[in-house]
Amino acid sequence: MAPIGHFTVLYFASASSYTLKDSEFLPTPLPLSKLFDHLDQRYKGMKAKVLESCLVTLNLEYVDVPESATDGQDLIIKEGDEVAIIPPVSSG
Amino acid sequence: MESANASAEGLRKQISETEESLRKLKAQLHQFEFQEKSDSAKTVSLDEHKWPLSAEEYKRYGRQMIVPSVGIQGQLRLKAAKVLIIGAGGLGCPAAAYIAGAGVGTLGIVDGDVVETSNLHRQILHGTEKIRWKKVDSMIASLKSLNPNPAYVAHAEHISPQNSESIVKQYDLVLDCTDNPASRYLISDICILLQKTLISASALRTDGQLIVLNLPPLPAGAEGGPCYRCVFPKPPPADTVVSCGDGGIIGPVVGVMGVMQAVEAIKIITSGKIDSSAEVAGSGENTKQEPTLMLLFSANSSQPFRSVKLRSRRAGCFACSKDSQLSLESLTSGSVDYVLFCGFTSPTKILQPEERIEASQYSKVRSKQHILLDVRDKVQFDICHLDGSINVPFSNFQGGKEDVVDGSSWIPDSLPNDASVYVVCRLGNDSQVVTRKLKEAGLDARGKRYIGDVKGGFKAWKEQVDQSWPEY
Ligand SMILES: [Zn+2]
Repeated sequence: MAPIGHFTVLYFASASSYTLKDSEFLPTPLPLSKLFDHLDQRYKGMKAKVLESCLVTLNLEYVDVPESATDGQDLIIKEGDEVAIIPPVSSG
Repeated sequence: MESANASAEGLRKQISETEESLRKLKAQLHQFEFQEKSDSAKTVSLDEHKWPLSAEEYKRYGRQMIVPSVGIQGQLRLKAAKVLIIGAGGLGCPAAAYIAGAGVGTLGIVDGDVVETSNLHRQILHGTEKIRWKKVDSMIASLKSLNPNPAYVAHAEHISPQNSESIVKQYDLVLDCTDNPASRYLISDICILLQKTLISASALRTDGQLIVLNLPPLPAGAEGGPCYRCVFPKPPPADTVVSCGDGGIIGPVVGVMGVMQAVEAIKIITSGKIDSSAEVAGSGENTKQEPTLMLLFSANSSQPFRSVKLRSRRAGCFACSKDSQLSLESLTSGSVDYVLFCGFTSPTKILQPEERIEASQYSKVRSKQHILLDVRDKVQFDICHLDGSINVPFSNFQGGKEDVVDGSSWIPDSLPNDASVYVVCRLGNDSQVVTRKLKEAGLDARGKRYIGDVKGGFKAWKEQVDQSWPEY
């Protein structure tokens, strides 16, 4: 469970190997459009190397991560939310 | 040595010929036994066409036929179905075993590889005696022993834009059991064009993914299920793609994913969903399309299974939307370039010749004071490493942490600042990237310190210096 004022972010596959974590808590509120830049600041180069080809879900449901904030349209990640960063895995 | 090789080769040939004739004899025997049984059956039952399945089939499939969601109708649908498995590896083996076992009518297998020792821990239809066999032949031999009833079709080649249409169009349902991004996009595209449902799975290390795509299998522009491009419109950068050979894979993890593909295949076939025309005809207006899910499996997680809800088809999707730019002509002619789309990693060449050192050369300078920086993952370092080497995994350099890149977290204080640093990894790619990063961070003390990459990594070390070095 995320502490007060935080959401959970889950890292799968290459997102996990890039951050060296399976999950962590980040402060809320965070507009969805800022998510990639926020993570890129924490993990240098992650946006281009990992995030841009990922599927992102919010509370187990697909969300489109906007390229930039569009007025009023932007989803806000709230306290207690769960965001998953799911890169494509192609091997088998 | 040469004559020993030749006689070994001769023996191998003799063994495989003997095995082949043994297989034929067994098949003949099976035929006779079958004949006998059905002859004796005839004396009991005058009407041999009274039942839709043979006596043997009722027995063989009875345990699944009495499950309400299968029933006799489901079994007959399985018998009528033609399933294509692309990739005879860690996913394809378990998927094929259960689908063949369930009594599918026709099972096609596509793979151009041969069986290697490093496959065996997870590719369960290939045995030790099948090393160097074509995977399709090895797989079909095992499947025939499991269930001789289905018709097995071997396509001993890799899937390509050129052969994809002619292969895929012969089947009703496709399983993507391949191992690279380019084939995943190609297979998804051809399934949209030919209106086939696609069951796509993948696995790496301890994680797996499963998605059922294009269900219902409707033409581009219609409200069918999403395609692979809808879920992952942008391929990952080529230099970040990790194969099972590089990243590792737990056998039963990829096995679980292959088994899940078989579960989905049996569900889809027995419920009659592979026929797109039936779906459209029977759908009426208020049929709710079930959302497409992705199943994520993480063996080490406290919650190993998770399902996430995906979008329906993406507006503007290159392959499946009404604005689709894809056609059979553009795909098979090669004008959709999958390799280019996914990018490719040419052998890394980012250093000047003087920034690299041959493994044999490095073995000669080992007596001098220096540091050998081994950038393989810790688990690989634990399997084997050179005395005195320091392990800082490549992934630690990726996040760009300063004390890692400038060496302060791992260089001993006692090291003079003109002592050399050599960087090594498994094959000699990551080590080049790290060498470049260290120099950019100024660790070479303006040229006072030599920083160089051991060319070809431990593969070269094994070839040039120490033949006993374990190949893993
Ligand atoms: Zn699509």
